[in-house]
Amino acid sequence: MTLDLVIQQLVNGLIVGSFYALIALGYSMVFGVIKLLNFAHGDIYMSGAFVGLIVFSFVGVWVGNGWAGVVCALLVSMLAVGLLGVVIERFAYRPMRNAPRLSILITALGASMVLNGTALALTGGRHFAFSTDLGFAGLDVSAVHITYTQIVLVAASILLMAGMQAFVSRTMYGKAMRAVSIDMGASRLMGIDVDRVIALTFFMGSALAAGGGVMAGAYYGSVHFFMGFIMGLKAFTAAVIGGIGSVPGAMLGGLLLGLLEAYGSSLPFVGSEWRDVFVFGALILFLVFKPTGLLGRSVVERV
Amino acid sequence: MVVSFKRLACATALAGLAMTAAAAAADIKIGIVAPMTGQLASEGQDMENAVKMAIDAANAKGGINGDKITTTTADDACDPQQAVTAGSKLISEGVTAIVGGYCSGAVLPTLKIYGDAGVPFVIIGANSTKLVAANQGNAFLANSTGDMQATTAVELFKKNGYKKIAVIDEGDAYSSDLAKLTAEAFKNAGGEIAAKETTTAGEQDYSAVVTKVKSSGADAVFWTAYHAGGALLTKQLRQAGFQGGIVLGDGNNSPEYLEIAGSAGEGVFLLSPPTVDLLSGAADFKAKYKETYGRDAGAYAALSHDVGDLIVDAIARAKSADQKAIIEALKASDFKGLAGEIKFTDKNTLQTSNFRPVVAKGSKWVAAE
Repeated sequence: MTLDLVIQQLVNGLIVGSFYALIALGYSMVFGVIKLLNFAHGDIYMSGAFVGLIVFSFVGVWVGNGWAGVVCALLVSMLAVGLLGVVIERFAYRPMRNAPRLSILITALGASMVLNGTALALTGGRHFAFSTDLGFAGLDVSAVHITYTQIVLVAASILLMAGMQAFVSRTMYGKAMRAVSIDMGASRLMGIDVDRVIALTFFMGSALAAGGGVMAGAYYGSVHFFMGFIMGLKAFTAAVIGGIGSVPGAMLGGLLLGLLEAYGSSLPFVGSEWRDVFVFGALILFLVFKPTGLLGRSVVERV
Repeated sequence: MVVSFKRLACATALAGLAMTAAAAAADIKIGIVAPMTGQLASEGQDMENAVKMAIDAANAKGGINGDKITTTTADDACDPQQAVTAGSKLISEGVTAIVGGYCSGAVLPTLKIYGDAGVPFVIIGANSTKLVAANQGNAFLANSTGDMQATTAVELFKKNGYKKIAVIDEGDAYSSDLAKLTAEAFKNAGGEIAAKETTTAGEQDYSAVVTKVKSSGADAVFWTAYHAGGALLTKQLRQAGFQGGIVLGDGNNSPEYLEIAGSAGEGVFLLSPPTVDLLSGAADFKAKYKETYGRDAGAYAALSHDVGDLIVDAIARAKSADQKAIIEALKASDFKGLAGEIKFTDKNTLQTSNFRPVVAKGSKWVAAE
């Protein structure tokens, strides 16, 4: 591999990795708090992209199709889809909170299908163009072209993740979240409104996924109802690699997964069709040898 | 007395039911198999709409020899497993003939089911050469096959002076077959294959592949899979500064490609199936389609409509709903539709290729010079 190729794949890996990290965060937070693998998370990402596109096409008339429009779309979509996450939690997951784990897992699959099916019915399976004026201008580092959009994108997702980390570790709400994740019953006895904390977790996780959806939509320029499927699987893998339940773990897992994909598919004699083999092979290896992931804590099963 | 009166009523009702059943059995039922859900749901919707338009028109003229034609749709989701379920469903519903099929990968395992049942099957979109080998004699390919497309592709490469080509597919039967055939044909013609890559369907990020293609020194990229990936790949190739040519297989002929690729799509070549915009006689059809379904006719709408007309024509010529007679009638087809002539070879493939190279100019496909 030449140096240019190494740098180019580093850029590629960081960009796709920051999307994985944003989605993995929501997976990880929800798992941390109520021990649920929220399979609807990929579809929430997709919903975020659609809400973002709708907002973008409305505000675009006034503020143009540049950054202002994208930021408006991002904020509105994060708010709206965050609330969607809360609604899903309220009606699909809360009634199942004391049910066996398997039941709530199936409910999550059901929620995923409802979102996916609704999007299919509403859009007729069409791929929608998310046409922005962001353009391909940028910097040239030796032979590697890095667009400004790519730089802003990685910076924005790092900013969102850092904000989330600060929220969880510095604020009272974050403390309450951590308390609920350690022991829900004891938290309730200590006067923490558990339902509200869980709703807040869903809001923040869904808002981050929506943010990822809008950014991916604007960056790749296309939005369709199926976009959450593979993203959901990859983000889940990233969450497991980083240590599910851990906020910094999700970020690390996402970035590592992105880099693994980029470098894995540019190995000599290995075609790009092996990319997903690396990704899901890593998932299996981690589940077998280090199920707590890189930064996860081992959970002591209380009997 | 009351009881016996009730019985009488029941008996009358039953007799009535039996009579309607008999009337229904005389009808001709056409099965439509297409991806109604999944990635390619919008193509499937187009196929169903266009076939139904042809059938409705035939019914409005009094049906076939006085029999009304009904349709039933089965969703194959472009997925081999679901396609088998969909095919079995159509057979158990007792359809007279089947039309449809978009993805070769999904059509391939169903050929045996339809072959064993002896149902005439006209394939609209799917065109992998693997289908020709697996055909039991009852299936007809109304679209040109992959090797015809490979020939057209190599002609285009030579005309544009490309010497090193990167071929990219999505790993399914259709796109990997077309990639393989084109690579072979190009090598035989003295060209060089700089890279051969495979991507994952439904993926948004192609950057790793783009980087490999760029560093392979290819003059041009040939994308053999579908428009959703094609648009993203085009955009990401141009974003990474790839200056070479981009050529797309027939699965990319969709208005969505131009919309999503935007300015990056300018100057891209496409091996086009006969779409409404390229066909001189299809203006009425295009307007009527839009009026009936409230959306633009997609890439395979014209061909789907032709196949709808073709099957009606074949059943009328067979003069019965006997499936063997319909298959014979299809073999003897000499049909002229919107998309051109449909005449079959002894392998039930089209006699003449219907591919035309077009180029994107100002967000429109125009014939390539």
